[in-house]
Amino acid sequence: MSGQTQIRDSYRPPFRVDNSEETILRFPFPFPEDNYMYSMNIEPHVKGGPVEAMSHTFDVDEHYIGECAEKARILAEDPKRCMVLPHMRDAEWDFLELGMDSLSSDYPEHFTLKKEGNDWSWENHLLNISQSFVFGDAATLPLAPFEYMARQMQGDFTLHDQRENDLWMDGGMVTSQADWSLKFDMGMSFRQWHAPVPKASEMGIFDRGLRFLLMLQYGRPVRRLNWTMTINPRLDTSPENYMIWGEDRASVTAENVAEKVHLRVELQTLYRLPRSNAVLFAIRCYLMPIKDIMTVPKWRKRLHRVLRDLDPALASYKGLDLFRPTVVEFLRPYDDGAPLSSGIQSV
Amino acid sequence: MAERMGFPTSIERVERLTPTLRRFVLRAQKQALPPVSPGSYATLEFGDGEKVYKNAYSIVMRSEDGLELTVIVRLAPQSRGGSRFLHEKGQPGLPVWIGSVANLFPIVKTARRHLLLSAGIGITPFLSYLKKMRSIGADYTLHHFCRPEERSAFDALLSEQDQTRVFVHTGLPSEVGLADWLRDESIATHVYFCGPEGFMKWVEETTHKLGFAPGKVHSEHFFVPEGGRPFEVILARSGRRVSVKADETLLEALELADVDAPCMCRGGACGACEVTVLGGQPDHRDHVLTEAERASGNIILTCVSRAKTDTLTLDL
Repeated sequence: MSGQTQIRDSYRPPFRVDNSEETILRFPFPFPEDNYMYSMNIEPHVKGGPVEAMSHTFDVDEHYIGECAEKARILAEDPKRCMVLPHMRDAEWDFLELGMDSLSSDYPEHFTLKKEGNDWSWENHLLNISQSFVFGDAATLPLAPFEYMARQMQGDFTLHDQRENDLWMDGGMVTSQADWSLKFDMGMSFRQWHAPVPKASEMGIFDRGLRFLLMLQYGRPVRRLNWTMTINPRLDTSPENYMIWGEDRASVTAENVAEKVHLRVELQTLYRLPRSNAVLFAIRCYLMPIKDIMTVPKWRKRLHRVLRDLDPALASYKGLDLFRPTVVEFLRPYDDGAPLSSGIQSV
Repeated sequence: MAERMGFPTSIERVERLTPTLRRFVLRAQKQALPPVSPGSYATLEFGDGEKVYKNAYSIVMRSEDGLELTVIVRLAPQSRGGSRFLHEKGQPGLPVWIGSVANLFPIVKTARRHLLLSAGIGITPFLSYLKKMRSIGADYTLHHFCRPEERSAFDALLSEQDQTRVFVHTGLPSEVGLADWLRDESIATHVYFCGPEGFMKWVEETTHKLGFAPGKVHSEHFFVPEGGRPFEVILARSGRRVSVKADETLLEALELADVDAPCMCRGGACGACEVTVLGGQPDHRDHVLTEAERASGNIILTCVSRAKTDTLTLDL
């Protein structure tokens, strides 16, 4: 990650989010083939992968400080973006431990963790946080353990209790979501919170996905990519704020399409948490404007083909109807139709 | 082949609880063992160079520092060798590899009250439950059933527990009045049970008869895969043939033949080892597949199930 010590990005008007060339090339482009349809695209979350964003347990990039600041602003405006039910107490500590252990070992230059028995001390050099506390004693932290840690990590996190052969969304912090709401989904089962998704249920994907996740083992996390498109670099496209961002969708023109339209990719990782037997679902959001995708020939050609041929039901569900034709029309001249290598790597 | 997952340990202490029960304390050789949730099991791998055994046991306790893990092993009469090996040769210093750790029998954290019913070795998952429930101030009761000659051993095992919540019985559940106690439980109670098959069947039938909702009844079948008639599997993708001997499981035969077959609990309880059957008739012995899946005959759990036919063709 390039050095960054101050808030540079703005995820609200006036928007300003600049991606360095390094950030563009490490982007988890979500289309391994020229066609897109739902699939069980789950693979082990092992370090390394076709793009750099997959090379750490939790990816930290040049937008870390800006995203953490945006998260803090959203939480100040709407504290219920973070909710955890009381029976998830052990899962909160599991999460804090996983976050601190992995960040401090993956990025020792930015995060330091020292442990002496249950006496821990944590330093986050990027956010200037220094905290000594007793692991397992929430009174020694300024915030509940889950909230304390999730505020210091990019992306959204949900905690799932496992009971009755199902996973229940019994906690989370959700501030960079693609039009779904923790307040609405809290306490729901796996099938309940997936109910709005078209087609996948009849394809049997949720049955297989749930069965797979119920057997998720500690130490063997898995990952998948999901995607949609967002107008302007807004992390927070929540139903609660639809009146703020919804109209953006009607603002795309041939002139501003490359600047305004962003491919929004979620690097989703899932972990079995050891003390609680809960499942952590981490949703790390990447926003990449068309103008930056244009700099990678393979990606711009593939994005053109995928959007051109996308199933209309999926396009509607993802909220692309108002601007998809404009994007396809813009990309068409830059796709020579040549065959592309399979996989998401940039060449 | 993926990197081998797990933790090297060796036996630190052995205690004889009864003629058929031994407690083994395993000590981590390298890094500390991860925390475990109550009800978890560990797959232990051990042997003497001639044969490697892989058996799953409930984790009775993990020490606070993560350096020690305790299991209790019952000498199984129909043992294919694993529990006999541990009872005869499981001395301090014996290396034991901890493979997968997982939980198929977790505490329901949203329950208002927990009723724990165990018989014999079925006490093991509840030993980890009791510690947790006591520490969080949960409402719970344990009834444990054992033979008269084993009573003192179980009394000793439970001596540190809250004696107003833990009861040991030497009579049969039907004789001591368990059905009446179950009837008196409130609608919010969750029932958990673990023990030999006869006990499991009795509790299953009794809770069903008394109207307990299926979502409030939880059980763990501890299950030692039994041998059976030898058979042969044909691996469709390579055309290879692998023989399964009378005293080994299909999964073990596949592993010996270096086939990368999926697996987790090795006891027919999790479903991770499911493989597609392309020919032949499976002899299902698991607790996972639905009746419809069994009847279809096109999937098999390799860790416990065998074949009714002389050959099985698998999609491997």
